[in-house]
Order: sequence, then structure tokens, then C-alpha cells
Amino acid sequence: MKQFMGLTKRNLLVFFKDKQSVVFSLLTSIIVFVLYLLFLKGTFIDAFDSVLDTNEYLKTVIKEDDIEAFVNMMLLVGMLGSALITVPFNCLTTVVRDKENKVDYDISATPVARWQIVLSYFVSAALSSCIMTGILLTAGLIISSLQGGFYLDAADIAFAYLVVIIGSISSTALFMTFMLFFKTSQASGAFFGMLSAASGFVIGAYIPLSQFSEGVRSFCNLFPATHITIMLRNALMNGALERMDSSLGGMDGGVFAESIRESFTFSPYMFGNDLVISSSMIYVLAIAFISCLMMIAIYSGNYKK
Amino acid sequence: MDAINVRELSKSYKDVKAVKGISFDVHEGEFFAFLGENGAGKSTTINILSTILSKTSGDVKVFGHELGKDDNEIRALTGIVFQNSVLDDKLSVRENLYTRGSYYGFGKKETDRRLSGIRESFELDEIWNRRYEKLSGGQRRRVDIARALIHSPKILFLDEPTTGLDPKSRRIVWDHIDHLRKEKKLTIFLTTHYMEETAEADNVVIMDKGMVIANGSPSELKNRYSSSKLVWYTHRSQDAEALLGNMPHTYESDHYNISFKDSITEFLYANRNVITDYEVIKGSMDDVFLNLTGREMSV
Repeated sequence: MKQFMGLTKRNLLVFFKDKQSVVFSLLTSIIVFVLYLLFLKGTFIDAFDSVLDTNEYLKTVIKEDDIEAFVNMMLLVGMLGSALITVPFNCLTTVVRDKENKVDYDISATPVARWQIVLSYFVSAALSSCIMTGILLTAGLIISSLQGGFYLDAADIAFAYLVVIIGSISSTALFMTFMLFFKTSQASGAFFGMLSAASGFVIGAYIPLSQFSEGVRSFCNLFPATHITIMLRNALMNGALERMDSSLGGMDGGVFAESIRESFTFSPYMFGNDLVISSSMIYVLAIAFISCLMMIAIYSGNYKK
Repeated sequence: MDAINVRELSKSYKDVKAVKGISFDVHEGEFFAFLGENGAGKSTTINILSTILSKTSGDVKVFGHELGKDDNEIRALTGIVFQNSVLDDKLSVRENLYTRGSYYGFGKKETDRRLSGIRESFELDEIWNRRYEKLSGGQRRRVDIARALIHSPKILFLDEPTTGLDPKSRRIVWDHIDHLRKEKKLTIFLTTHYMEETAEADNVVIMDKGMVIANGSPSELKNRYSSSKLVWYTHRSQDAEALLGNMPHTYESDHYNISFKDSITEFLYANRNVITDYEVIKGSMDDVFLNLTGREMSV
């Protein structure tokens, strides 16, 4: 156990001691934040206004502060969703660097069991992701509560943290299956660049997936990260939406809230249908399980050539 | 007691045969050197002996433990200093050594206890909290050797430990290795392509293209595969040529180069009145390698 703990601690130290790497692992989240400040917030509010403009009554009942709270949470969800992709990947580049620099030889020359080496990479990347996204979520919730318009109950918050943990584990498991294909850190770095650029779109951090065609939506929903983001959206944005819905006092029979849920993609979309949120959880866990099996198959024997 | 016994060891990667049925023994406390060019199979052999790579065929025993069956016992008995540094740049010397200690199941206190002597003799205290990436080449090598000794191994593998170091750092590293060999009675297994580093070895194995081409002490190898040379400073003359007769010799600008397979002393004594300005150059390991392979050592 000491050996496994030592390996995991070493991997965590290697990641967190490299400040540049830590900042780069949040690159997409930073881009989402900057774009939000520049124009995304305006775009999301305009989307609301276009619905409100159709009905004068809605305009008087729905408060601007509630809309602001809703779109602020949209930002937090976008940042979390992308961080749950980029942080574990960046931490897992240690696997590639260790192979490239033959650090794995140094570990292989010790009595550490081979499965412990693989598991330590997995655990340290999942832990790094939990720590980073956990801090991001906590900071987001604190800022949001300080700003007012905080409509989350304990169950919502607990669910958000649970999704962060499951998201960290599933992303790490998925990335572990193909990290060994990168022979150099240059190659993994190039892939990270593409991943950073694409992840924001795939999870719908910039533009809600409802704006895309059915084919694109189905494709994006193949990625567990998209489902993770949808779950986070439900955990963190439902409160503000329900507040707006209760402001209407049931006069519209929930049509307004439903149209907002659809516009901002609160449901997973697979096989041509909108599915319930629990199907996202099942899908993410299933992909994580399959990834773990693949990981065992790929890594077994890899540390003795 | 034998520290290592290797019999018919082979290692293949698909179509490439990196090691081709080599056999040798290393005795306990011996300074054993593996000499050969890059790609000769030295590092592959060392990596097999330290359980990092698996062998394709052959038998290897380390202090009686069979490779492939008793790997964990072998890992506890062997330490390795790799050709390139394998410690983490962003971590301090302390963090690097504590994490490596944990790989052997040592806690902080146990690592401290095991490192107490090493810290002093390797002068690590002054760089203890410094990041590994901030160290000079010589300092890094000192830390690398300390890391390899953390679990008190009985055999220390050194895979080209001085490659890329400046002469001063090389000297410092060698002083430390000498100390380990003489004071701690450690079995040293060195791979190198620097001929001069094998001079003090008890036994040298020369590898070429995955095969052992010669084996013996440096003096045995020199006697067997090189000749000493007499450099006689004189004008070229018929008398001198007559004196040298059938002996293999050449003339260069102001001196004769005369090769000797046997003792030079007798020849010099017999001609002490004629040959007054001279020097004797002993056969070197370079000559041994050249004579064995037909080419100069390339690195």
C-alpha cells in the first residue's frame, strides 16, 4: 500500500508542481470564461429575451436577476464540463512523459507491482481532476451566493459534487485507454491542443447543442463529457429555472421552463430522442466500466517488454 | 560467491536480435565493466539483469535468485543508475528521494535512516531542497547514485554514468564510485564506451553487435589483443634499419614506431648503447577494441 501511495503522491506532485501545466489544464475553462465576459453572456441573455419578447406578461414577471443567476450558472457548468476533460488528460500526460524519459524503467526496477503503477496513474489523474474541478465548483458556488440569486438546495449541490467525481473518474478511464498510443509528449501536447479547442463545442459550453442539427447533437452525445455537462446543467441551473417558473405561478403550465430547458439542452439526445437524465448517468458509468476493462487489457504486460 | 551468472542470454525485438546468447559471471565485490559501442547490447543486458526487460531465452541468476521467478528478490538486491536522469525535474532532491524510497515500502523515517550516510558522503545536504532541474550535471549524477543506493543494494548497475559530463564532474562521480567499491564493498557493474573507465576494472567484457567478443582483466586483454610500442627517436639510417631487421616498424618524421608482442626490456637492454632516446607505450584498451573488431570505437 505504501508503494501505491508513494507512486500516486509522486504523480500528483509532478502535476501540481508544474504551475504552467496546471494553468494549461484549465485552458478551455479560461477561454469559456473570457468568451463569457466578451459576448457569451450577452448571447445567452438575448436567447432569453427572444422568448420573453413574445409575451409582455413574461417580461414583467421574470426577473432580470433570475436570468442573470441562470446564465452565470451556465458559465460555471461550461467551465466545469471542459475542465473535466482537460485536467485529467493533462495529468495523464505523465504516463507519456514517463515512457519517453524512461522514468517507467526506474519504477519497473523496484518491487512495485505492475498493476500498482497503472492504478497510480489512474488514481492520481482522477484525484487531480476532482481537486481542480472541486475547487472550481466551490469557488463558483461561493461567488454565486455572494452575488445573490442563489437557488440551489443541498441535494443540488451534493449532486453537482457527485457528478464532478463521476466525471473525473470516467474521463480519466477513457483517456487512459489511449494515452499509450502517444509516443512523445509532443504528440500528446498536439492532441491536447485539439482537445481544448473541440471540447468547448462538444459539451455545448459556447453554443447550446440544441442549436445544432440532429446529426451533430447525436455525435456530441457520444462523448461521456457531454452527458456529464448535461447532468451538471440539471444540478446547477434547475434551481434558477424553477424559481422563474414559480414566478409564473403555473399560468403557462410550465411551457416557458420547458422551452428554456430545451434551448439550453437539459436532456441527453441519443438515437433521435431526448432521454431522461438518469440515462446519462447509466451511459457515463457504462463507458467508464468498458474503459476500465480496456485499460486492464492494454496495460497488462506493458511494463515488462 | 558469484553475484551474477549469465548463460546463453538472448533478447530479440521482432526481427532484431539485440543480445545473442551471451554468457559471463560477475563475482561478489567485483568491479565488472561492459565495454562496447552504442547499440552493442550493453544497456539491454543491464535492463534485463535489473528485471526491467524480459529475456527471450537463457538463464540468469543474481545471488542465486533466478531471473523471471524471483524478480522481487533481485530488485531488492540491485540498484541502477540510468544513462539519462530519470528523476523528476520539478521535484526537489528531498521529494525525489522520499518518493523513490516509498517504492521500496519505506516511510519518511526509514528513508531518512537509509539516506543518513549517503547524504553526507554524496554531499547532498547543500542541495537537499533544491529542484532537480536546477542542479548541475555532476550534482544530478550524485543524486542519481544516491537514489540507486536508497534500498542498500548489493549490486550497483551503472549505465554509462559519466556520459555528457565535463571532466571535473566525471572525476567527482568516479571518486564516489571508487568509495562505494572500496569502502562499501559493493559489486559494481559498469557499462561504458570510455576505454579509460575500464582500466581499474577487475574484469572486462567486450560486447559487439549483441555478442561477447572478449572477456578478461584489462591486463589480460591487453596482453592478448594488443601490443606494446617502442618509440625510438633517431634519424632514419641503414644501421637503425639493420638493427630493427624483421621487427614490425614504421618511420614517422623523427622516430621509429616498433611493435612488440613480447618483452621490450630485453631488446632495450641489449641495445642500450644505441637506443638512448625512447619511450615505451603500453597497449591500450583502444588497441584491444581495434584489434578485436577491426574498427575504432565510435560512440
